[in-house]
Amino acid sequence: MASTEDKPATKENTSSWKDSFYNPRTGEVMGRTASSWALILLFYLVFYCFLAGMFALTMWVLLISLDDYVPKYQDRVPHPGLVIRPNSLDMSFNKSDPLKYVQYVKHLESFLQRYNDSQQDNNEDCPRGEYFLQDDTEDMNKKACLFKRGFLSLCSGLSDTNFGYSEGKPCVLLKMNRIIGLKPRGDPYINCTVKKEGPIQMQYFPSEGRIDKMYFPYYGKKAHENYVQPLVAVKLLLTKDDYNKELPVECRVEGTDLRNNDERDKFLGRVTFRIKVVE
Amino acid sequence: MFEMDGEMDKKKKKKKKINKKEKMEGMKKEMDIVSKRQTPQGFRGLTSAFAAQVLERDGPNELKPPKGTPEYVKFARQLAGGLQCLMWVAACICFIAFGIELARGNVTCFDNLYLAITLIAVVVVTGCFGYYQEFKSTNIIASFKNLVPQQAIVIRDGQKNQINAHQLVVGDLVEIKGGDGIPADIRIITSQACKVDNSSLTGESEPQTRTPECTHENPLETRNIAFFSTTCMEGTVTTGMIINTGDRTIIGRIATLASGVGNEKTPIAIEIEHFVDIIAGLAIFFGFTFFVVAMFIGYAFLEAMIFFMAIVVAYVPEGLLATVTVCLSLTAKRLARKNCVVKNLEAVETLGSTSVICSDKTGTLTQNRMTVAHLWFDNHIHAADTTEDQSGKSFDQSSETWRSLARVASLCNRATFRPDQEGVPIPKRLVVGDASETALLKFTELTVGNIVDYRERFKKAVELPFNSTNKFQVSIHELDDPLDLRYLLVMKGAPERILERCSTILIKGQELPLDEQWSEAFQTAYMDLGGLGERVLGFCHLHLNEKEYPRGCPFDPDEMNFPTSGLCFAGLISMIDPPRATVPDAVMKCRTAGIRVVMVTGDHPITARAIAANVGIITEGSETVEDIAQRKRIPVEQVNKRDARACVISGGQLKDMSSDELDEALRSHPEMVFARTSPQQKLIIVESCQRLGSIVAVTGDGVNDSPALKKADIGVAMGIAGSDAAKNAADMILLDDNFASIVTGVEQGRLIFDNLKKSIAYTLTKNIPELTPYLIYITVSVPLPLGCITILFIELATDIYPSVSLAYEKAESDIMNLKPRNPRQHRLVNEALAVYSYFQIGAIQSYAGFTDYFAAMAQEGWFPLLCVGLRPQWEDVHLQDLQDSYGQEWTFSQRLYQQYTCYTVFFVSIEICQISDVLIRKTRRLSVFQQGFFRNRVLVSAIVFQLLLGNLLCYCPGMPNIFNFMPIRVQWWFVPVPYGILIFVYDEIRKLGVRRFPGSWWDQELYY
Repeated sequence: MASTEDKPATKENTSSWKDSFYNPRTGEVMGRTASSWALILLFYLVFYCFLAGMFALTMWVLLISLDDYVPKYQDRVPHPGLVIRPNSLDMSFNKSDPLKYVQYVKHLESFLQRYNDSQQDNNEDCPRGEYFLQDDTEDMNKKACLFKRGFLSLCSGLSDTNFGYSEGKPCVLLKMNRIIGLKPRGDPYINCTVKKEGPIQMQYFPSEGRIDKMYFPYYGKKAHENYVQPLVAVKLLLTKDDYNKELPVECRVEGTDLRNNDERDKFLGRVTFRIKVVE
Repeated sequence: MFEMDGEMDKKKKKKKKINKKEKMEGMKKEMDIVSKRQTPQGFRGLTSAFAAQVLERDGPNELKPPKGTPEYVKFARQLAGGLQCLMWVAACICFIAFGIELARGNVTCFDNLYLAITLIAVVVVTGCFGYYQEFKSTNIIASFKNLVPQQAIVIRDGQKNQINAHQLVVGDLVEIKGGDGIPADIRIITSQACKVDNSSLTGESEPQTRTPECTHENPLETRNIAFFSTTCMEGTVTTGMIINTGDRTIIGRIATLASGVGNEKTPIAIEIEHFVDIIAGLAIFFGFTFFVVAMFIGYAFLEAMIFFMAIVVAYVPEGLLATVTVCLSLTAKRLARKNCVVKNLEAVETLGSTSVICSDKTGTLTQNRMTVAHLWFDNHIHAADTTEDQSGKSFDQSSETWRSLARVASLCNRATFRPDQEGVPIPKRLVVGDASETALLKFTELTVGNIVDYRERFKKAVELPFNSTNKFQVSIHELDDPLDLRYLLVMKGAPERILERCSTILIKGQELPLDEQWSEAFQTAYMDLGGLGERVLGFCHLHLNEKEYPRGCPFDPDEMNFPTSGLCFAGLISMIDPPRATVPDAVMKCRTAGIRVVMVTGDHPITARAIAANVGIITEGSETVEDIAQRKRIPVEQVNKRDARACVISGGQLKDMSSDELDEALRSHPEMVFARTSPQQKLIIVESCQRLGSIVAVTGDGVNDSPALKKADIGVAMGIAGSDAAKNAADMILLDDNFASIVTGVEQGRLIFDNLKKSIAYTLTKNIPELTPYLIYITVSVPLPLGCITILFIELATDIYPSVSLAYEKAESDIMNLKPRNPRQHRLVNEALAVYSYFQIGAIQSYAGFTDYFAAMAQEGWFPLLCVGLRPQWEDVHLQDLQDSYGQEWTFSQRLYQQYTCYTVFFVSIEICQISDVLIRKTRRLSVFQQGFFRNRVLVSAIVFQLLLGNLLCYCPGMPNIFNFMPIRVQWWFVPVPYGILIFVYDEIRKLGVRRFPGSWWDQELYY
């Protein structure tokens, strides 16, 4: 019994720190000999290969179980968000200094490239006021309804290439997020308000800010390759009194069952941005 | 290391010497003072004025608590462990991150604040718990205070006064009578049949006589000193002079010694510290590595810091300390039901790893009451029943000699039972009288029956009590036969003195002349009984001549007008403090469990040795060096010390031994008995055992044991007989004073060590699937799969109960047949355990989590390949129309909820895998099927609880916005199931390999 109570060899203790990295007497590196390392690494190689294989297999099964056209679940995106172009919630520019607003103009111009007539001429001219349903067609490639830049009239950038920025009456484009299969009920339109004592005149394009139902439903990136979202342009007809002030503008999708008053998601069916035009 | 110990010893010795010197000088000085002030008519004592001066100089006569570390420092220490520091850092980073976000005006997300608060709460709560544990076990000096008498009668200015005991000073004269506590260390000046109970100080079971003569150099041995805190058992007024007060008394020094001995760290504390350090180190390593990686990849400094924090939170097992504490307290509870109260939780495991038990004799191994053990009559030694419940065998009582002997024993006895004890079993009744008379009274009550009645029948005519000059006790009685008018003289006393007075001896009822042959027989018997460590008394009687001593004869005890020689010898009765019935079996069990039992006692070597042999500490056939020398008839020096298994060392011998010699003795003799040891020496013995690498348990009950109890890795005090000082110094208390309970403790300790291993393995495993999401998140830039708050929910909510339930697991093998674990080799957390948990089971769990994560992402529209590198856009607060794989556009909020879904899915995956994990952790070697799936009910309920809690978190309304849990689709619960099955099957294969091929590569690498 007494033999179990060996004294710790003090000599070993002093060199054990170095030995734990490399022990020249046994040839051990980090407590293992080369062959021991080889064996354990081989074991882990096999082990992880097996695991990786299993992971790959499950991923493969997962991916083949997915539909190419429609996501399996859409419960995280039941309602579309509303976004503006130019993509800035805090716009500020000097109407007489092109350098300040050129970025917005450029942004709008590039954004509207897809709405050029050259692109849109291939698309269908759909009947207005109705959903453009294509569920019954065998063809997986769905047709898209055309939305021409011209629909935006003064804000199309065709007549006024500065989108009104130079004259202090800037255009802002609004678009609803794409959601597959979304069919808003009622007649959706965009309504913007400025939180300010005196109301500000606004012009909507297309008229009354309507979003036509024919652009719904969306069939997904793969099936609906040429789909473009309907846009609504708002031209803020600012007057001298409104310059040099930060104006908070809120736009909402109205006239439908789409949510526009979610407490947590401030971009669900609505968008708030500030605009300040300096003279 | 050894040099240091040596130095310490030297220092101690030096200190001791100085103390002694001081003491001697002090004694002389005070003696002078007293003699000067002594007047012919008696003692006048000190003057009040002088006493006040001395009081000023020496301070009051009380035990001062040592200067300890302040409480707030102790508390702060609890908050500053390895893991705690890391968590503080993490919490600080969280606060900073939150502060910066707040400053930027971006307060959408309170996660960082929550996280910081939770982390701090975890640290503080565990800290409070630890502090409470420590607080409970440190209050040692208080118990010594209880020992100290409050009032004392002092003679000052020639007048007797009752004063508060702490007003006493050196040189004061005090008066003590039976029943008083001794108010300081005093030297007896006058005494009358004074006896003190030193058992708590020296371990001697019997009261010690105190007389004015100095009989020994050693203050502990000499007759003329009575010690602070002991009690005066009997004797009329005794006067003594105070030689030491307060902390300078023997008890004060023991108290200082006990409170000065640092609490040894328990083995489990060392183990936990060991691996907490490793984990903290690894956490910092991982955190720092990925901090650098993140900076290198191009993250902002703050972001990289947050990653560091997240990695720390993910990697540190926050719930582990709580789990360990709960597991230990469960075992403590279980032990409490078996009469072992554990004061210091960590001590639960210590017994399991104990390799040496240093046991006190009196009251621990023995019953702490003198009991008749043997009788010698008719030229035979008869063994009496010494068991506590009288279940043993009795001797043949048919002999006529026995009847005479019993009559002498019953009549020549002044002890009486206290009244109103009819219901109490005889051995437990309270008796008025000294130890040996008590033993005889109980013995005769058991064998003869109703002694009160018996004594009534033999009316006592006269009595001469025992005194130290005569060394015998005589009484004269009328006979119970009314026709027989003779008187009966009965006498008992020291055997040799009794024999001198006898001329005949009673053999089989016949009076035979006491010739050489009988004398020799008597001598042999006397030696034999003495050799057993027993106290022997001789008994004789004489029927007085009817004519010479007629009825009504006026016997005078002072003149002794009755014959005291020519008596008839009846027999010898020997007494011992017998071992408890359960002890030999318990010692045997300890031996099978590889634990060495060493006896360390304050009692005499012969008694100690006899008891040691009796209980099996010295086994049959083991010899000491002296025995071998005697057998071979060679001098002691020529005996090879290695041949002797047993060894008895007395305190005197021990004093002359160097610590190396003591180590050598402990190493070469497996069976050791230390007798006549002082408290200091007990400490030295314990230290020596610890130097040899043993985990030492010390059992004891006396105040003198308290330093050793404190020094030991685990001190075990006796609950009934134990002094408060011992109980306070101990880590564990045996409520039934039963040494056998220690065996239960050892078993439970070993079991909890095994089960803690399982719990920790279970707890550590999930840190990998918690960590990998961050690593992947940082390096591959996928949306974050698992949030910090979710991790905390796993660590502190769902996984606590299952990991605790493993503490209820039954032992896999007969743990009591194994040797105690070697603390240097059998670690709680070894490499194999960590590697297996982290790189194998943890890896499988990570894969399960990612499979489920990618499934949830893909099914919601985000294909795995799209996810890679998606992080910057995904987390861009200004990007409200991020396209998924199907062309749908998501707002930031929608993405955030998707991210929470991922957290939940990952959480569920870890939970499912952890269910499998808890099942495989039930055993380390056996198949789970052999262990039984449902035998551990708690574990089954823990799994159910885990699932219910998981469901509650997922599906309770409001969870998404408070704790980032989303109600996930049912099928995502089943995605990780194949991985769970894989874990189970893989571990069964591992265990099969371990069982089938012991010692193989597989066994070495994969058995933890």
